[in-house]
Amino acid sequence: MTTETTTAWTKPHILSLETFAAPEYETLLETADSFREVLSRRTKKVPALQGQVVANLFFEPSTRTRSSFELAAKRLSADTLNFSGSSSSLAKGETIFDTAKTYMAMGANIMVIRHRQAGVPHTIAAEMDRLQTDVRILNAGDGQHEHPSQALLDLFTLYQWLSSSSPHQFLAGKKVALVGDILHSRVARSNLYSLTAMGATVHLAAPPTLLPKAFQGLLPESYQDQLICHWEIEPALAEADFIMTLRLQKERMSDHLLPSLREYHQRFGITRDRARLAKDHVKILHPGPVNRGVEISSDLMDDPECSLISQQVASGVAVRMALLYLIGTSS
Amino acid sequence: MDSGDQNPRLTQLLQQVRVLDPVSETEQIADVLIENNQIREIAPHISDYPPHTQIKETQGLIFAPGLVDLYSHSGEPGFEDRETLVSLGKAALAGGFTRVGILPDTEPPLDTPSDLQWFKTVASPETPQFYLWGCLTLGGKGDSMTELGELAQAGIIGFSDGVPLADLGLLRRVLEYVQPLEKPVALSVHDRALGRHGVMREGKLSLRTGLPGEPACAETSALAAILEVAACTETPVHIMRVSTARSVALIADAKARGVPVTASTTWMHLLLNTTAMTTYNPNLNIHPPLGDRADQRALIEGVKSGVIDAIAVDHTPYTYEEKTVAFAEAPPGVIGLELALPLLWQTFVETGEWTALELWNALSASPQRCLQQPPLRCAIGEPTEAILFDPKTAWTVSQNHLKSLSANTPWFGKQLTGQVVATFLNDR
Repeated sequence: MTTETTTAWTKPHILSLETFAAPEYETLLETADSFREVLSRRTKKVPALQGQVVANLFFEPSTRTRSSFELAAKRLSADTLNFSGSSSSLAKGETIFDTAKTYMAMGANIMVIRHRQAGVPHTIAAEMDRLQTDVRILNAGDGQHEHPSQALLDLFTLYQWLSSSSPHQFLAGKKVALVGDILHSRVARSNLYSLTAMGATVHLAAPPTLLPKAFQGLLPESYQDQLICHWEIEPALAEADFIMTLRLQKERMSDHLLPSLREYHQRFGITRDRARLAKDHVKILHPGPVNRGVEISSDLMDDPECSLISQQVASGVAVRMALLYLIGTSS
Repeated sequence: MDSGDQNPRLTQLLQQVRVLDPVSETEQIADVLIENNQIREIAPHISDYPPHTQIKETQGLIFAPGLVDLYSHSGEPGFEDRETLVSLGKAALAGGFTRVGILPDTEPPLDTPSDLQWFKTVASPETPQFYLWGCLTLGGKGDSMTELGELAQAGIIGFSDGVPLADLGLLRRVLEYVQPLEKPVALSVHDRALGRHGVMREGKLSLRTGLPGEPACAETSALAAILEVAACTETPVHIMRVSTARSVALIADAKARGVPVTASTTWMHLLLNTTAMTTYNPNLNIHPPLGDRADQRALIEGVKSGVIDAIAVDHTPYTYEEKTVAFAEAPPGVIGLELALPLLWQTFVETGEWTALELWNALSASPQRCLQQPPLRCAIGEPTEAILFDPKTAWTVSQNHLKSLSANTPWFGKQLTGQVVATFLNDR
């Protein structure tokens, strides 16, 4: 299959959305759209990456993201290899580079990397470049840094939902509320870059311990008006077009960041009552896995009128196909 | 290395060398005659010298006192794959350091007089002088005092755990107890509860990189508490590894009030700031973490004004395997003995930020004073414990070039300008 792209893809690695420019988001959305069409066919497979090897190096275990990447690679006819941290030899004294080099020796063209610590995809990409290999690195979530493919599938989900005629600034005039453990969320950081780049205004909401003041300065100056931080949930939800909630890890209590899950749900949980503060047609997204009854009430999550959660999962494969395709076929 | 120490009886004439003597605050281009390890003469031109004198063309080079490092880490005993005392000594001399403070966090830790005996067997005329710090608390664990009096008698340079002592009650008693022993006490300032899992200075950049942040107040709150305890016990203390602008202000204020305090920062905190960390290079994981630009600026000015007395290297070797992990999982610390002088010279002296004498004061005379030792000099009649430094020679930081067994530095593979070309070690 051939994909018409508006811009030639120049990024060899996808490590962070911080450095993404608007035309790159547009290319990505258009490419994902064409793969969504492929996935609706009877034969959901194209030979775009035939003969290439995609290695999923998941130093931090994950089933959902890894499965999504694996399926995306297979739909592109690539061969896939899976490495998971629990079966790793890291405990036996290997460095992170040894693992990457092992998969390089097996002929991996693209490495999809997840690690519980920030920066590991970057250091592996730097090492691959230093060795002058042609291996491409795709960040599948690194510590509290970024999760580009998740934010892009969120973006694609919104793009689909809005049926925009063009991806150009398709979120202009839209208000997105991003609620939850912003401080520890790699998804929130990536989403902030992508949503504002496409024109949305993002309202962050969390207690101060999970939303430090410095977040206000996270974006480049030209985007700063599109980011507003709140320590109460109500102003963030007011007239919002979309609500994104984030998973709250239970260990936040032992880090003295919150008094209890109960109080968190009372003050920041998305409930049906609170959702009424937003626009009538408001849609709710969550990157999963969900703590039902903590960040979002169960009935709201299961309500197809409100929730875009299952669309997010479906978008994941098309977006990951687009990412693999773009870096796998760029020169 | 062409070293003058190989034949100590040799008479040498250094011609038209740039002589620095931070004690007299003088700097001159002159000829220097060295005889029997002593500086016989310093004059604009020396033509009257013994017939067997070795004449060295030293134009453009710097002749200055040997550098003194307040505190660094030895791998030996316990972690000889990181560094041995022999490799540490070679690295120190290659970098111009003729005296090196060794922190007691070895395995076993240096907390009893008998541990000291072993170190003494390693010293030789070819090694720099090792200043051994003795533990303040048993095992450096911060729970109970070592036998401080015995250690002092055994020949340690001073007391330090090298890591923060959280128990202020114990700190107060220790500071009282050591007063008659007249040894310096060096304290690391850090509040663990505030620092928590932080690996980078907390701020906009830590949020952007996703690296766990450590607030500046993890250092300053501990510092404020220690300064208060030091003020009431009146025991001189040395504050190690100052890394924040606020700490510089707190120390300046304490000094103005007459609190007996000296302070040092590290060469890394002077050369780099948080903006370097967007590469996630584990060799930028140091503790305390690099400050932001304002902290770096305050430290640079602090060294110039003298609020920060000295620059320490805090050489901390780790093997490739230990450091080739995720940034946040890397053990903090970098090597530096061979790199500090060329980088500090290029960054601060060549640019005119500091004078050559100001740098030498912070790397040699002032560390000696912090240790209650007489500063080394380049003056007539003084024993020669000095180095010849060529500020123009370029070299590449590589495994082949480094004398250290470890190569954990962000400058690995990079080219540096400035090299020590000879070392004169006094007959000790």
